[in-house]
Order: sequence, then structure tokens, then C-alpha cells
Amino acid sequence: MSDFLLTQIINNGAPIIGAIVFISALGAPFPCTLILVAAGAFSRQGILPWHTTALIGLSSVVVGDSLSYAMGHYARGPIQRRFGQSEKWLKAEAFFNRWGGMSIFLTRFLITGIAVPVNLIAGTSSITFRRFFLYDLTGEAVWIFGYGGLGYLFGTQWEAVSEFLSNMSGLSLGLLILGAGLWLGVRRWQSIEEKKHDAREAQP
Amino acid sequence: MTPTKQRAIVSALIGLGLVIVGFFGVRTFHAFRDFRTHRPPPPFDNKQQPETDVDLIRDWMTIPFIAKMYHVPPPVLFDALGISLKGNQEKNLKQLNDEYFPETSGYVETKVKETVLQNMPPAMPTLPSTPTMPSVPVP
Repeated sequence: MSDFLLTQIINNGAPIIGAIVFISALGAPFPCTLILVAAGAFSRQGILPWHTTALIGLSSVVVGDSLSYAMGHYARGPIQRRFGQSEKWLKAEAFFNRWGGMSIFLTRFLITGIAVPVNLIAGTSSITFRRFFLYDLTGEAVWIFGYGGLGYLFGTQWEAVSEFLSNMSGLSLGLLILGAGLWLGVRRWQSIEEKKHDAREAQP
Repeated sequence: MTPTKQRAIVSALIGLGLVIVGFFGVRTFHAFRDFRTHRPPPPFDNKQQPETDVDLIRDWMTIPFIAKMYHVPPPVLFDALGISLKGNQEKNLKQLNDEYFPETSGYVETKVKETVLQNMPPAMPTLPSTPTMPSVPVP
């Protein structure tokens, strides 16, 4: 698929990049890191105008993200009716309200594999669209200009950069899952220890 | 949630995390090593200089794209392949190979590389960044 998309980009230019990142923001698994780094390299070679490409890419991905936020937002009613009173839901919502901004920002360019679920969760949470938009725009700007900039900097050697960044993103996701597992494990262990301690104190 | 379920979730997360970290860790290490062995990025002051490494040609590239990259006129490449420029400008090398030379896999890519090598403009001499002193003292 990457080869097909790359051919379409060199034939049709920035609008294809806009379409790819837009559809990707709605959940389609396109190789966007590769596309962005390649777009930077093509700009360096004079195939694409960097400013128009960056503008179209940024606006398309932000519109796509906003749509997936809206999907979550409109599903908020039924979800709240079903889970709204549960203690776990309230805890999860409080957690997302505290860390949601950072999650939105980091998943735009560092842990891109979970960007769409984060958009949906942001929509169902009480994060306002304005706040979501601000973090989303900042994160996507880092993604577009950072990854595209690396492609521009390295020119025809962009494939090596893209390979490194794609694997780095997968590694970040793995570290996040491992960190979550360890954190839950430690919490569980602490809770067991507390219960044991309470039981010992309760004994006469 | 029952303690058994909790333990299962924690174990699954740690196990999955380790598998992903291991898999992408090895790939990231190899990618970083390959990345470091690449030549440094081209300087910005001569960005209009043509590319000279034909090993960078891929089968997703089109003839006009390669022509621009290596500063070789597109008709030269189409002539070398013996196919018409008209209607083939947006096809990539793989599509051209499948359409015109289906019996010889990779023919178009090889032929294009050869033609580019033969028709590339001579590389511009690069001036040294700092003036060098003559080794023999001038009388």
C-alpha cells in the first residue's frame, strides 16, 4: 500500500497527503509516518511546495481528529446513561480530565497508534472541544513539521529516517503498555499488603 | 473485579508490553544502526544538485520523478525503454514493467538505472569550505 500511496503523492501532490492524513485520523491504518517523512523529502526535491503541503496536511488531520472527537461526543449520552454512575467510570473520567491534554498532545506524534481511541475517549469525557482542539493542533503541528522537517533535512535518504521513526513509535507504545501493567501490578500489590496489614491489626 | 481477573490483566499487560518492546526495540536498534551508517544529509546550499546514487531508485517512482531527481530528460528514459511517453507518465516502474515487460521481472528498474548512469550530468566540483595553505613555502 505504501508504494501505491507514494506514487499517488508524486503524481497528484499535496491534496493526496491531505486525504491520507484525514482518513487516517478517522481510524484507517495508513503508514502516515512514512508519508510525512517522504513528503518532506519531496519538498526538498522540489516536487511538492512545503508550505502548501504542510498547511493542507495540518488542516486535514485536525479536521479528521475533530470528527473523531465529535463521534465520541455524540456517543457520550448513551455511554453516560449506561456507565455514568459507576465509580470506575467517574475515576476514569477524572483521570482523563487530569491527563487528557497531555495524552492528546503526545499521541499526535509520539504514540500515534492510539491517537484515534484517545480522540473518541476525549469526546466522551468532559474535555471541551476548545481544549481538545488546542492540544490537537499543537501536537499535530509537531508531527507535521517535525516528521516532515526530518524528511526535508535528510532529502533522498528519508527511507532510513522513516524506518527509525516508525519503529520508535511502536517501541513507545510497548513501553506505555508495559508501564501501565507495572503500575497496575504495583498498585495491586500495595492493596494486598494494606489488606494484610489491616487484618493483622484487627487481630486481638 | 475478582483478584484472579486483576492478576490476569496485569500479567497480560506486562507480557504484551514486553513482546512489543522486544520486537520494536530490536527493529529500532537495527534502524538506528543503519541510519548512522548512511551518508550525512546533503548540504542546503546545493539543494539543486542532482542525486547521483542510482541505488535510491525504487519501483514506486515514476519516470518524470526520476528524471527530476537525477536531472535526466524524461524522453531519454522512455526512449531507452522503447515505450511512449504519452499515457505512461503517471505509471510507476512496477506498473510499466507489468504492462510492457511482464516476462522479465525488474527489467524496467534495471534499465532505468543504467540509462540514468549513462546520462547523468557531470557532478559539479565542490569547493573546499576553508582555504588550504600551500604545502611548499612560496619564495
